[in-house]
This record gives sequence, structure tokens and C-alpha cells, in this order.
Amino acid sequence: MNNDLKNKDTQEKNNNPQMALDDEQRIKVLSPGMLVFKRFIRNKLAITGSIFIVAMFIFSFVGGWLMPYRESETFKKEVEMSKDYAGISINKDYKFVIDEGYDFPLSAQAQFVQAANKEDEVFSSLDIAYSQKKLAEDVHLIYGLQQVASATALGGNYAIELEDSTLNADFSAAFSDAISEGAAFFEFGGNEYVVSQERKNYTAGVLQPVALALKNIYDYASPETSNNLDFCMKSEIAFAEIASGGAAVQEFTSGGVKYQMTVENDRAIISEVKGDELIEYANASRYLVQPIYADVFFTLEFKTKVIELVEAGVEEFTYDHIDGKLGTYTLHRSNDVWSMKWIEETRVLDTFSFPDSVHPLGTDGNGMDVLTRLMYGGRISLIIGFIVVIIETFIGVVLGGIAGYFGKFVDNLIMRIVDIFNSIPSLPLLIILGAMMDAQRVDPMVRMMYLMIILGVLGWPGIARLVRGQILSLREQEFMIAAEATGISVSKRIFKHLVPNVMPQLIVISTLSLGGVILTESVISFLGLGVKFPFASWGNIINAVSNVYVMTNYLFVWIPAGFCILITVLGFNFIGDGLRDAFDPKMKR
Amino acid sequence: MANKLKNANTETREERKKRLTIDNNYEPLVHEDKYILEVNELKRYFEIKDGVLQRIVGYVRAVDGISFKIERGTTMGLVGESGCGKTTVGRTILRLSEKSAGQVLFNGQEVYDLNKEELQKMRPKMQIIFQDPYSSLSPRLPIGEIIGEAVREHGIVPEERYTEYLDEIMENCGLQPYHKQRYPHEFSGGQRQRICIARALALNPEFVVCDEPVSALDVSIQAQIINLLMDLQDKYNLTYLFISHDLSVVEHISDTIGVMYLGDLVEFGSKKDIFRNPLHPYTKALFSAIPIPDPTKQVNRILLEGSIPSPANPPKGCKFHTRCSECMEICKVEVPKQKEIEPGHQVVCHLYNDK
Repeated sequence: MNNDLKNKDTQEKNNNPQMALDDEQRIKVLSPGMLVFKRFIRNKLAITGSIFIVAMFIFSFVGGWLMPYRESETFKKEVEMSKDYAGISINKDYKFVIDEGYDFPLSAQAQFVQAANKEDEVFSSLDIAYSQKKLAEDVHLIYGLQQVASATALGGNYAIELEDSTLNADFSAAFSDAISEGAAFFEFGGNEYVVSQERKNYTAGVLQPVALALKNIYDYASPETSNNLDFCMKSEIAFAEIASGGAAVQEFTSGGVKYQMTVENDRAIISEVKGDELIEYANASRYLVQPIYADVFFTLEFKTKVIELVEAGVEEFTYDHIDGKLGTYTLHRSNDVWSMKWIEETRVLDTFSFPDSVHPLGTDGNGMDVLTRLMYGGRISLIIGFIVVIIETFIGVVLGGIAGYFGKFVDNLIMRIVDIFNSIPSLPLLIILGAMMDAQRVDPMVRMMYLMIILGVLGWPGIARLVRGQILSLREQEFMIAAEATGISVSKRIFKHLVPNVMPQLIVISTLSLGGVILTESVISFLGLGVKFPFASWGNIINAVSNVYVMTNYLFVWIPAGFCILITVLGFNFIGDGLRDAFDPKMKR
Repeated sequence: MANKLKNANTETREERKKRLTIDNNYEPLVHEDKYILEVNELKRYFEIKDGVLQRIVGYVRAVDGISFKIERGTTMGLVGESGCGKTTVGRTILRLSEKSAGQVLFNGQEVYDLNKEELQKMRPKMQIIFQDPYSSLSPRLPIGEIIGEAVREHGIVPEERYTEYLDEIMENCGLQPYHKQRYPHEFSGGQRQRICIARALALNPEFVVCDEPVSALDVSIQAQIINLLMDLQDKYNLTYLFISHDLSVVEHISDTIGVMYLGDLVEFGSKKDIFRNPLHPYTKALFSAIPIPDPTKQVNRILLEGSIPSPANPPKGCKFHTRCSECMEICKVEVPKQKEIEPGHQVVCHLYNDK
């Protein structure tokens, strides 16, 4: 073999002595591109970076396509919600039914309770005298005194002033007689009048029923009906009659309407009699069933049911609600108060659900599948990265190339523009622009495009500077002078001789800035100013972490997105470094 | 130079204007057909800018009015120490660097009068081979493209003959056709220089500036390249301007020799005349430095004191007087004129004022 080589060598030498340095037996010759590729694939870090990036691409583009869920599909779950619905208690206090047109203030009510306990017939409050009459057990009718006439003693006579026009002189005579006799009562025309004295002033008053004190609670069939003194009094009397062993069915008339009452389990059931028909009118019992919400009205049937269940000591029951929904209710007792809760089956967003077989990475705060969001977010983050870098590189190469090749004034101008762009604080600017777009309600898709353009326009100066520097130095190289000397046109000189020589640095800086752009995009999206819902991006996935609770308890929402960003940026940086090493001609093959 | 800049502040506007005006007075040449290239009072000044406004405060006189003529099919050697302006002369002739004053006639045509298209057409006829074979080849282009690109650009040969022509050129320059696909980094210095030669010759030039083509190569390769250049000269009837600081190489290849010092052509003549009878003290000093491969022979070397003065602020009078061993009073005051001592042998020195 060696001999063969030598023979061939010598043969060649003999043929043409000037070709002594050449031989065809050299190892396979590689183009610079192939050389770079070979060097690149020998770099472990670069390969790791490439694997990262390829994995991210497959994850984002193929993964999103394979996932059964859509980008912004929300998931719901069935939950049982228990709401406070009603309070039930046994009434032990007097309730007052006050007649229309009369006043029975709270202080008088308190005085009454005292009087009732002491079985006093008369009591007063705020200088107004009242009397009470027990109609039945726990039922009292309270009378108030209504002044009809007043008298002033003038010597032996009395000056009487009548306040009621129906009264006449006979009444005055009766009144003065009563005063002079010192009587507390006198009768006139079948009515009993009360005389009260204050020094030399006397008043005559007539007793009027003012209020009814009772302990039963009346529930009416119609929400419009409220307690009426006459009705309640007659009903109470009837109730007491039944309780004391009278007829089981009592009838009474109030306000021209005939009512019928029956008693069942200590509850009075009162119906309105209309001809032959009995219409459900009211129930009376010691139980107070009050809805929590003011706009809810309980039907008699429901209240009866609840009272029955309370008496039976049931803790949970279902009931066909008035709007047709089957509700489950719970009753909870504490002393003589029951709280009723309504358990309702509702569909709510499945937020922050932990990873399971349906959602491998759980769901986020909007009830969307985190894995799907990650995949679509990866697409957007990568696409934004690439487009921004393409914009950056395009502007950078064109302006940097012009500055470098033409030099002098043009160079000066472009480099000053670069300086200006370099001194723009990009993050505040992006934040302001983001806020502006928020205010303008820019469509999320359009917004994304603006974002790419803004990032691209902000990012070109670095590339322009690099290209300009490279071209400035290459321009003076002898091969460029040779190209000029051989009469090659300017455009060919730029694109065939200069640009390919800038390519390595360009590829390296573009790759490295890809990582940077993806980071910037995540930062802006994290701040809520970049990619907006419904579009996902790794940054706005992390944006879900708006408080410490989410951060510490729902790690599965933000750790994967952070990890994706980390892997991608790391991958691009590894590739960038690998390319830089591979392009370095001083590296060994 | 610092002195000069300081003076610039005190001088009047007129003085300054006068100092910065480049003298462009010369007697126009009458073209003679036997000369392919005629250079007349060629000047190339590089501006020195200073201050906030970047005003011109002076010039680096890289080429300070030189005149010579090259006959068709001959080689002119241009020698001189580093920084004397040899390379600038070569580039200015090819209009790769703008002239400041003077005339460059190529085949009787003023090179600097050509417009863009005409210049483009002229380019293939005048070529250049560079000193550094490493930086003069674009690292991202294969050899075939480097050599052939301009051939296609100028349509030197019909398209169907292109490959054949390229192979022929490469073979003539000692390269193999299969080298076409290779890249410059795969070649040795000598091979690269041949690629440069092939690139220049592929355009079928009449005149080639060889800008120190062998100084970056080792001696054995130098010989190969020199012989190659001479062979090609015979073959294509080329005219060379051979720039070198290596006198032995120049002696080998040249027909006429010009000696440059600080932008001036101090001596010009045929090789025979100059080597037999160097007239200028600088030429004498240069020639005494040629090593003689005989250790027993005593050489009377003329040592030049100091280094070459700055071309931005050249000495008054004869530019060489600061280092000249035969310096006279007149040398420090008066600029010497060019004198023809023998037919075709010119010198610029006060020593020969009376002849």
C-alpha cells in the first residue's frame, strides 16, 4: 500500500515536477459547511441542546396535534354545594299583632310582658296607659286608651271639651258626674269610659284594642297576606277552644270572610270557606320557619313538611322544590334552633385539579388542561421566538451590511441609530405598549403580531453591530480587493463574498438570541402584557401564579411551564455555543 | 508629526491651504505604443484627519510623484524597504486605491478617466497577485468558483468552453482540475499562491501587478512560483510589475528595476545597468545587503543609520539625506531632480548634478 502510494507520488512528480505537493490520496475533502457540521455533532453539549430543542418541537407541534383537548377548552366538574337555606326555631316569645292605625312601641311591648307575667291588667309605658285582657293561654288582647274628652275644674263646675263630634251634652253631664263622684269608670251609651286625672285636668278616654300578643306563628299561603288583629284574635280563640276539648272543627268569620280551623299535631290549619270549597289560607304553630334569603318564599306545604321533619328529628331529606328542582336539605339542630342547608349539585370549572389520568398535569386556574396549554404555549413561544429572530436578523443584516460596506457617513448614521435603540429601556417600553394595547382592547391575535414586530424592532441593533463589524473587517481583506480587481459586481461582492463569511457569526448570534427572545416573551406574557388569553404561552401559563397559595400548593401548574422555558433556552444556548465552537477555524477537526 | 500638528494651530489659513494643496502640475505624457503602462508624476496621499470636525491636517505621502514606463512583455521590478509605498503604487495603478495626482496610462488610456462600465471592461486586462495567499482567497468559496467567477462575469470564454478553459488554466498554473471542489483551507501556501495566479491569469490579462507574490513563501516554493510566473509570461506575453523587497528575486525576474525610497522613485534603469552600476547611495546600500553565498568573501556593507522617516512628515530637501552616507549641504535644502546618467538609467540625487 505504502509502496503503491510512493510509486504514484513519484510518477506524478516525474510527470510534472510542480505538482509534487499534490496527491490524490488525501482523506475525503469536506466543504466548510460539512466540517462545521462534523465538529458540531462531536460536541456533546451541542447535541444535548439539539435534543432539547427537537424534543420541545415535537412536544409543541406534534403533541398539540395529538392531544384530544383544544387550546382553550375548559373542564367542569360536578360538586355538591351546601347553602344555608332556612332557620327553624320554636317561638317562646310574645309576638304582637298591632292593629292598623295604632302604635304599640317596643317599650310598651316590654311593659306588657311584665304585666302579663304578673297578671296585672293595667300597665303603662311612656305616660300612656294600657290594659290587657287574657283571652286564652298565651293570648292577650291589649287595649289602649283613646282620649275623647277633657275637663278642667273651674270652681265647682267643669269646663268640658269634646273631641269626638258624635258625643253630646249628655255625655258631658255623665263625664262631670263621674268626675265629681271620683269614679274611674263611667258608662255612657253602652260604652265604658275611663276617667283619668292630672291635677285639675281630667280626661275621658275610651278603651280600644291596640294589639294582640300571641306566641303562635302564622304562616300564610300567600306571600301578600300578613297578620291581621281581628283574624288572629278569632283564630286564637278558636284554637284555644279546640285545645281545651271543644269541637274539632271551629268556624269563625273575620273581615266578612268565613274561615274553618282544624288542628293537627298542635298545628292549626286554617282554610278559607268559599261556598263549599275550602281554600288553604294559613297555618299556625309555635315553629318559626324563616328563609335566609329575603326573596325566597316558603310554601305552606314546605313549611309543614319542615316542621314535621324537625319534630321527627330527621337530619337529611329531599324535597321537590317549587321550581321543580329536587333539592337535598340537611337539618342541623342546636338547642331549639335548627339550621337548614340546601345541598345543590352544580357544575363548576374544574380549577387547579391535581394531576390524574384525564389531566396528566392537572388543570389550571381557568379549568384548562395544563399539558395541552403547555403544548400550544410551546408552539406560540417557539413561533414568536423564530419570527422575532428572523425580523431582527433581517433588519440587522441589511442595516449592518449597509453600514459596514459603505462606511463613512452611512456607517456613522446607522451606528448612531443603533446607539439610540440600545439606550431604549425595552422592558418599560414593552410594559407601556402592552398597557396601551390593553386599553385599546386589541385582538389577541393582532396583539401577538404587534408583539413580534416590537420585539424584532427592539432586537436588531446587536445583530447590526456584529454584522457591521464583521463586514468592516472583511471589506479590507485582500480577497475583497481581489474581487474588486477581477471586476466582480458590487452585489456579487456583497452576497457571494461578504455575507457567507458573516454567516457563522450570524448563525451563532441568532441562535443565542432565540433563547433571549423566548425569555423576554415569557417575561412580558408573565406580566400579562404579551400573549393574551385565549392563546397560551409559557409565560402566561406561569402568570396563573398570582399568589403565594397557588405557588406553593399547585406546583403542577407552573413548574412544567418553567421547565419548558428552561429547557428551550438552555437548548438554544447550547446549540449557539456549539455552533460557535464548530465555526471556530482554530478548532481541530 | 506632533510638531507638525502643533504648527498647524499657529499657521494662517493661507499657509494651511497652501500646505494642504496637492501639487498636480505635470507635463502630460505622449503615449508611445511600445509601452503598455506609463506612469507620470503619480501621487497617492492619505489624509490625516484630526480634531472634532475631522479636518484634514496633513497627508501621508505614500507615493510622492513617481514616473516610469513599462514596455510590453517585460518585467519591471520595484524594490524598496518596507513602507516606502511599493504596494500603494501597484494598487493605485490598478485603481484599487484612488490617485491624488498624476497620470496612469494603460495602453495609452488614462485609467482614472474611465467610467464604471469602461473600468469594468478594463479590469480583466490588468490583474494583481497579492502578497498573502491566505487572506486573498475567500475561505467560503471553492477554488473553482474563486478562479472561475470572474471568467463567467466577464464572459472571457463561451459558456460551453468554460470548464475546459478552467481546467487548462489550472493545469498551466500547476493545479489539478479536481482541486476545483476544494476550499482554500485545504491548500498549502504555495498552492494557494498558484490559485491566486490562476485567478489573475484566467481573465487573460495583459498586465499583472505581482505584489510581493513570493515573500510569504519559503525559498523552494518561491523558486517554483517565480519560474511559473516566468513560464506564463513567455506563454501569454504578459507584462509584470514585480513588487518585492527581495533583490535577488527581482534580479532573477526583472528586465528593468525601479528603486523606491519614501514614496519617491530614486533610481530607475535596466536590470543590467542597475546591478552593474548602482548610482544612488540608497541603491548602493540596498545592494550591499544582498547576501553572497560565499563565507570567505569580504563584503563592504553600507549600513543605513536610523529607520525610514515618516512619510507624513518627510525630511526637507532630499528625503534620503537623513540616512545618506554621502550627504551634502545642498541635500538638506534642495529637492534633487531626475537625471538620466546613461540611456534609460535615471537617478534622483545631487551627487550627479554636474553630469
